[in-house]
Amino acid sequence: MRTLIIGYGSPIRGDDALGPLAADRLGSADLPDHVQVISRHILTAELVADLVDKERVIFLDASVDAEPGEVRCRRLEPDSEAVSTMAHFLDPRELLAWCQTLYGRAPESYLVSAGISSLDYASYQLTPIAESALERMLEAVDRLVAEPNLETVDR
Amino acid sequence: MSRTLTIEPVTRIEGHARITLQLGDGGEVEDAKFHLTQFRGFEKFCEGRPYREMPALTARTCGICPVSHLLASNKACDHLLSVSIPPTGEKLRRIMNLAQLVQSHALSFFHLSSPDLLLGWDADPASRNIFGVMRQDPALAKDGIRLRQIGQTIIEMLGGKKIHPTWVVPGGVNEPLSQEKRDAMLALLPEGLEIAKRTYAFFKALVPKFQDEANHFGNQPTMFLSLVTPQGNLEHYDGLFRLKDAQGRILEDMVPPEDYERLIGEAVEDFSYMKFPYYKPHGYPQGIYRVGPLARLNNANTCGTPYADVALAEFHMLQESGPIASSFHYHYARLVEIIFGLEMMERLLKDPTILDHRVRARARSNRYEGIGVSEAPRGTLIHHYRIDDEGLITWVNLIIATGHNNLAMNQAIRQVADAYVDGNDLKEGMLNRVEAVIRCFDPCLSCASHAFGQMPLHIELRDRSGQLVDTLSRS
Repeated sequence: MRTLIIGYGSPIRGDDALGPLAADRLGSADLPDHVQVISRHILTAELVADLVDKERVIFLDASVDAEPGEVRCRRLEPDSEAVSTMAHFLDPRELLAWCQTLYGRAPESYLVSAGISSLDYASYQLTPIAESALERMLEAVDRLVAEPNLETVDR
Repeated sequence: MSRTLTIEPVTRIEGHARITLQLGDGGEVEDAKFHLTQFRGFEKFCEGRPYREMPALTARTCGICPVSHLLASNKACDHLLSVSIPPTGEKLRRIMNLAQLVQSHALSFFHLSSPDLLLGWDADPASRNIFGVMRQDPALAKDGIRLRQIGQTIIEMLGGKKIHPTWVVPGGVNEPLSQEKRDAMLALLPEGLEIAKRTYAFFKALVPKFQDEANHFGNQPTMFLSLVTPQGNLEHYDGLFRLKDAQGRILEDMVPPEDYERLIGEAVEDFSYMKFPYYKPHGYPQGIYRVGPLARLNNANTCGTPYADVALAEFHMLQESGPIASSFHYHYARLVEIIFGLEMMERLLKDPTILDHRVRARARSNRYEGIGVSEAPRGTLIHHYRIDDEGLITWVNLIIATGHNNLAMNQAIRQVADAYVDGNDLKEGMLNRVEAVIRCFDPCLSCASHAFGQMPLHIELRDRSGQLVDTLSRS
């Protein structure tokens, strides 16, 4: 199953770097050939072209909606209403909707996220609770990569 | 009854802003202001950091144009080192800068502005968005994505797949270009150029439909500031300052970037976190000028590449004489620059010295003050640092492309509001035109200040006593 993992977030805003840091860890790991990993500050339009030939996409992000340290894994569906007012970057569901609208299909997609506690500017380190969550995010990704048909899970 | 109309946030731009229109008793516009509502303070929190961290640190200012900050910052560091970087290192930096120009301009034209241009200013806002464009003209939307992908791919080939490339370093770049990567990049460019030419032809045919908008969207006499080559041609990476007035007379020419403080002052207003740069000899606010693609094309004698020069000649025909005044034509100028970027990248990649291994000069800091200037997609970007004996930053000044246009954006809003807004009968199309003139400048408010978040669009009409008279909302 051709899989793309996209970790995104700001690397200078503390725990917001969880996504790209997780992606960097995965990128240096021994992943199967069918798995591609990229890091992004934000999700931008050209990523649609990377999505279109994939069967599964896993987004990695920090979350302010969950309790700090809480790792969640949920299925994402295309949603053209999930439009960011910040026009230079996209919500992952909007990105999927671009793919669906333009190419007639969108890959099966998951969001693996972790609740965070610090978004300070010019902060280059994860808090201990985010560090711990990062490990569990990687475990969640491992499960998604290993199993072809996963149900949506909240952990 | 005097009323204030507020548009918040301004949509399809990068960053958060608010527009307020002060309406007079008869519903006419008495005043217009563009407010940048967030503060981030990069200049302050950089103090105390080692200067070699500055490129990586300031590149984080923005997720959409990190390469611009990376280059201007490294140029400031080059100045601190007092080195001339090897010619091949400079050419490689130029390629990365042009790749970013292409992808950033593509985002602005295809994804942010095309809904207005293709679907119309008065179209239902529920469909006047990128999905409306995808449904009406999927080929155009795909072209935009592909052009961005080409630009981004070249940046990644040069800088690696990290979020913010660390390949550009003080003194040059840290790795020469391989033949394999050179060939891969060259293979992308013909398709990119075909897309750019196709889009340019499409838009050129569309422009006459927008004569009214061109007449009122920031169609104002201002000066134009940009870098040019020593021959006076289009320049994005290096070069010297040129400043033309509204009639096309050159007021300043061949000014070294290190002398920017002689040309540019920075005023502060209490209604915005964005500064108001102005041309010092004319004072504030008379020293209003514009930067970015419109200014660069107005200032350049030629582009220096075949198709872009044809397009430049056609650009100058948009007006009978003099510099092109309407800010609506920023869109046109962006397309000309996309063509130029793709042509120039091909030329640089075919340069026989581009695979040379000497790409970096090494030195320690040899000065206490460094200034780096380049042309970002949105205009002239200035990084200015001072350091102590330990190489730690003691002072920073960043003049961001969007900031230069602050006075002009405020003036442009006033002009559009005068032409289209009827305070007695507020319509969504009026609101959209007021926003759209800001999108002509493609402001990157994340750079000009910075903060992320989301707010619904909400407009309120209030009377002098603060009583709510009318509202218009967009979720």
